[in-house]
Formats: sequence, structure tokens, C-alpha cells
Amino acid sequence: MPPVVALSHISKSYESKVAVEDLSLQIEPGSMFGLLGPNGSGKTSSIRMMIGITMPDSGSVSLFGKPYARESLKRVGYLPEERGLYKKMKVMEQLVFMGELRGLDKVTAGKRAHEWCEKLQIMEAVQKKTEELSKGMQQKIQFIATLMHDPELVVMDEPFSGLDPVNASLLQDTLIELKKAGKAILFSTHRMDQVEKMCDTICLIHRGHPVLQGGMREVKSRYERDHVAIDFEGDAGFLQHPAVESFKNYGGYAEIKLRPHADAQDLLRTAIAKAKIFRFELMEPSLEEIFIRTVGGED
Amino acid sequence: MRNILLIARREYLEQIRGKAFRITTIMIPVVFAGIMAVMILPSKYWTTQKDIVVAAQNPALAARLQQQLSADKDAKLTVGVLVPATEADRAKLHAEMDAKKIDGFLWVAAGADGKDDVTYVSRSAGDFTTDDRLDNDVNHALVERRLVTKGIPAAEVGPLTHRVDITTMVYRNGKEEPSSALSTLFFGEAMAFLLTFTVVMYGMNVGRSVIQEKTSRIFEVMLSTVKSTDMLAGKLIGIGAVGLTQILIWIVLGAVLLSSAFVEKWLSGEAKPQVSGVEILLLCIYFLLGYALYSALFAGLAATCDTEQELQQYAPLAAVPVWLSFGMFIYILGNPNSIWSVLISMFPPCAPITMAFRFSAQFPPLWQIALSLALLAVSIYIVLWLSSRVYRVGILMYGKRATLPEMIRWLRYS
Repeated sequence: MPPVVALSHISKSYESKVAVEDLSLQIEPGSMFGLLGPNGSGKTSSIRMMIGITMPDSGSVSLFGKPYARESLKRVGYLPEERGLYKKMKVMEQLVFMGELRGLDKVTAGKRAHEWCEKLQIMEAVQKKTEELSKGMQQKIQFIATLMHDPELVVMDEPFSGLDPVNASLLQDTLIELKKAGKAILFSTHRMDQVEKMCDTICLIHRGHPVLQGGMREVKSRYERDHVAIDFEGDAGFLQHPAVESFKNYGGYAEIKLRPHADAQDLLRTAIAKAKIFRFELMEPSLEEIFIRTVGGED
Repeated sequence: MRNILLIARREYLEQIRGKAFRITTIMIPVVFAGIMAVMILPSKYWTTQKDIVVAAQNPALAARLQQQLSADKDAKLTVGVLVPATEADRAKLHAEMDAKKIDGFLWVAAGADGKDDVTYVSRSAGDFTTDDRLDNDVNHALVERRLVTKGIPAAEVGPLTHRVDITTMVYRNGKEEPSSALSTLFFGEAMAFLLTFTVVMYGMNVGRSVIQEKTSRIFEVMLSTVKSTDMLAGKLIGIGAVGLTQILIWIVLGAVLLSSAFVEKWLSGEAKPQVSGVEILLLCIYFLLGYALYSALFAGLAATCDTEQELQQYAPLAAVPVWLSFGMFIYILGNPNSIWSVLISMFPPCAPITMAFRFSAQFPPLWQIALSLALLAVSIYIVLWLSSRVYRVGILMYGKRATLPEMIRWLRYS
């Protein structure tokens, strides 16, 4: 099965500013891909080229195994970071309009919109004008508009920004369902902690350049488990152990960074001797830490 | 094409259902009728009485002038006589004007060369109607006196200088129809007003709609589905259809009103405009093309702005051609086929309005209509080409109004 998205050495500059340089990536069906990086790193520019809003200066874009063609966009659901709705339109009219634009007929669009509104529990809002709804409600409608035509590729740029925890969880559950159904999902976000648990593959991007790329497990396995989370009661003197490079003690909970190749088992023995230990977890570094380690020298 | 129609339908329904459409559909004809009423009725029914004095050395001439001026009922003049008038009387008349006892005086003197020297001194400048009437009546009385002086018996002078009222007819569509300057003025102004209002208002509406979509950040969602050119085309078609709907409502309402007994009575048949089907069709075509020109322009400009206030700064681009066209109004009605009238009606931004003036005065040669439509179409193509390129880039740019060099760069990106 060909990859759903294949970017090959794409670059884009605006005047003298390089937005993206020599980016290549592939997104497989039934996978979640994280395009990660700080604000202004080139994530949105990459996505815009992926779905033809802008054209790359060089390199090529393939969707569903074929060179980019507008026709392919009917199989894509895109939720941009700068997302909006027609404020004067009623919710149902708006969803049907969006569905029709994405190739559905009016009846099917109405049926799908109805099903999604029921699923996301916003049936009471369907006859209201968008401007009368709360922000959270509007986000649900944007979410439905992105997914109601059953796209094979779902692209979400900063999907969790501004979402309350309940809606964020609802969105996560729905996306996991879609992934199980074989859809390819691309996340773009600067909040790496939010997608860390969900992504199969990632690409870390910095100043338009891809700096780290690969399967999540494979990327993480490149880094030593050198962080310890510890819940304890009693003397915190074990934090002075020679294996500890730095620590944050919250009183009963501490986060420790170990020295390179330090013996964590010896630290555990010392801790047990001094305090009552409820949890001692040797953790792999977070994506954020990996990112900082990778690009830290450049800044 | 499907997406263009979907977008056009959405724009059309949103605007048609809006309050603004209902209000303007009703209010614009009401406001226009109000303006016309303010222009016509006071001069017809509520002109004020004026007291003037005829000061002359010749008593017979003064009496004849008094008789002539008093006979003109529409003029509403009370005419006194001062004979024989001397220079000292002139100062006295000035004093009476200062005391507001009289509104003016007509000073009739024999010049050094024996020719009559007539001056009208008035408290108000720019009273065209009174000036015009005085001019007519004084000349008529003087001609009568000259004829008598030349030995023609006074009894024969009256029939010789008898006035004739001219019946004005306009030759149209192979037949003569009653016409008057007032009906020409009324019709020309009505058509131009209708066109100006709809072309500029709906052109600006397109700009406003672009700004609203920019503000609501809907563009990026839409652009992942439809091409920017399809979005622009859908918007222009949808909003243009709203304007056309409004014009058709006004035409139907106008036709019903003009055929009603009330309007028939009010307009006394004289000012009733004569409108042919061809003129209505051309009016619609000029609306569509004028609208396309202005809306394409404002769509492109709106894409470079972030707020409606910023867009307002471009309003003179629409206002200047309108001022220019209305500035030529009286000239075109009087000289519909002069070189200047033809040239300005060929200039695309002014063509819809000035052609409306020309239709009301005299139907222009077909080649001139065809040429003005063709020039309009070419300019629409050019503006649309430029605007769609600026639009493509501009709708994704937020933060500040683009400068001219930036717009030129955007043209290159596209």
C-alpha cells in the first residue's frame, strides 16, 4: 500500500526567509504522525504545501500514491490552526455546506452532520447561528466539518489549542477510533507532551529544517533512560547521591536527572535506606527534552 | 463549477436573508423619492412671494413691464413701479432692500448709445428662476416698445409678439412621444442613482464580505477544499445576484407605481418617464458589468486589509468616478452626443452612470454602446486578473494592511 502522504525534499522561502528546507516525510495508512516543533518552525508552511494551499519552490508532494492533484483533497480533512466558521449561518446549514464542498450530496451531508452532532452531543445547537455558540461548541463543529466526509487523511494543525480537557479527551478518543479504522492522521503542534502518547511516527522540525525523524519508539530508544520519578516519605538525603546530576524536590515527589551511565539501582537502594518509597520509575526522556537536546546547541 | 455555485448560493442566501437587504430594498426608493420630492415640490408649490420694483424713466415701458411680470402667476412676484427714476431713487431703493421691504429692483435706463441698459439688483444671488423670467419678460416688453417706436400701431404689436409654447416630443422607436426636460432629468437621475448605488454598494459589499471571512479565519478551511479563484468567483456571482434581485424588485415596484392613478396625477403626465424594455435590459447589463469591475477591485483590495476601517480608505477609488459622472450630468443631458459625453461614457469606471444619463437624453448609437461594453469587459478582465492574484496571497496574510510594494510582490508569487 503506497504512503498516504509523501513529501520529497520540499523547500519554501518567502523573500529572504526560509520557511521550510529540504523536508521529506511519509505518512502510512492507519498511523498517527506528529509534525512537531516550536512556533514559527515551519510546520504550518509544510502542511500548506502538503494540501496545495501554497506550492513548494522545489521538491514534490504525493497524496495517496499519486503526484499532488486538487481532486485528492476530497479525501483529506484539514483542521487549520487559523480556523473559522461562517458566523451568520446556522450550524446544520454550515455543516451541510462544508460537506457539499467536499463532494457529498446534500442528503448524505445532512445525514452525516446529524450523526456527528449526536455523537458529539450538540444536537441542541444545530438550528442555532454559529455566533450564538460557545467557543467549545464551535470547536466541535469545526471538528465535525473536518471529518464528516470520512477523509482517509486527517490533518490537524494545533488541534488541542484552546480546547478544554473534556473536549480534548473527546477529540483524542475520536482520533484513536479513526486510526483504528485505517485513517492516516497528521498532528502538527508545538505542545509535544499532548501528542507524545498518541503518535507512531514523528518529525521534529526546527527553523524549517527536519532535525529528528522516525518511529516514536525508535527515536526514544536512541536516548538513555536517565530520568527518575520518585514518590517518597521521610528523609530526602538520597537526592545527594553521586548518581544524581540535578533534581527537583516537590516534598514527597521528586524528579531526578541521572549522570550519564549512572547506576540507578544503587540510587534506589540508598533511597530505600533513607525513606519510605512508594514509586521509583526510571523514565525515558520526553519528546520536549529530546527536542531541546537536539537543537539546544544551535540556540 | 459546482463549488463556485455552492459558494454563490451561500453568499446569495446569507445576504438575501439579512436585515440590510430588506432595509435597503425599502429605504432606497423611499429616500430617492424623498430627494426628488425635495427637489421638485418646493419649486412647484412652495415658492415664496417676492416684492420687486421696476424703476424706469419711461412710464409706458414701466407699466408694460409691471403688467408682464405680474401676469406670470408661477413667478409669484408683486411688482411696484417707480417713474421717472433718478440716481437718488437708486439709493432709496437700496435702503428699502436693507430694510427688507423689497427683494430687488429692475433698473431700466437708456444707455449712452441709445440702447436699453437693464440691471436687476437683488438681495439673493443665484435665483436662476427669477433671473430667467425677468430676462424673458423684459426682452419681450422692450421688443414691443421698439416696434411701437418704429411706427407699428400698438394694437398690432400684441399679435406680432405673441408667445408660442413649444410642445416637446422625443422621437423614439420610430414614433414621436411626449417628453419634457423634467422627465429627462427625472429619468436620467433615477437610473444613475440606481446604478451608482447598486454598483458601488454591492462592490463594497464584496470587499466587506472578504474582510469578514478574513476576520473569522474561514479562508484556510475553505482553501483546503476550493481554489481561491473559485471562492472569488462564487462570491462575485452570489453578491451580484443579490444586487440584480434588488434592481428587479425596484423595476417591478416602479412599473406598478408609475401605472398607478396616484402617480399619474402627481406627475401630471409631464414628468412620467418613458422606459423601453431595451433600456431596462441595458441597465441590467451595465449594472452587472459595473458591479463586476468595482467588486473585483474591492475584493483584491480587501484581501490586503485586516479591518473594514482599512478598506474604507480605498473608498475614494469608487467615489471619484461617481463624482466625475454626476459632475457631467447637466452637460451630458444637454449634449448627449458631444465628444466629451462620448468619451466619458467610454471610460469604464464612469460608463455605467454616464450611459444611464445618455439613455435618458438620447439613445446612443449602437456602436458606442457596444464599444463601451467591450471596454468595460476588457477592464473587468484586467482588474479581475490582478485582483485574483493579490487575493490568493492576501487572504492568508494577517496583521497589517499590505503596502503597494508588498502587493506587487504578491502578484509575482502567484
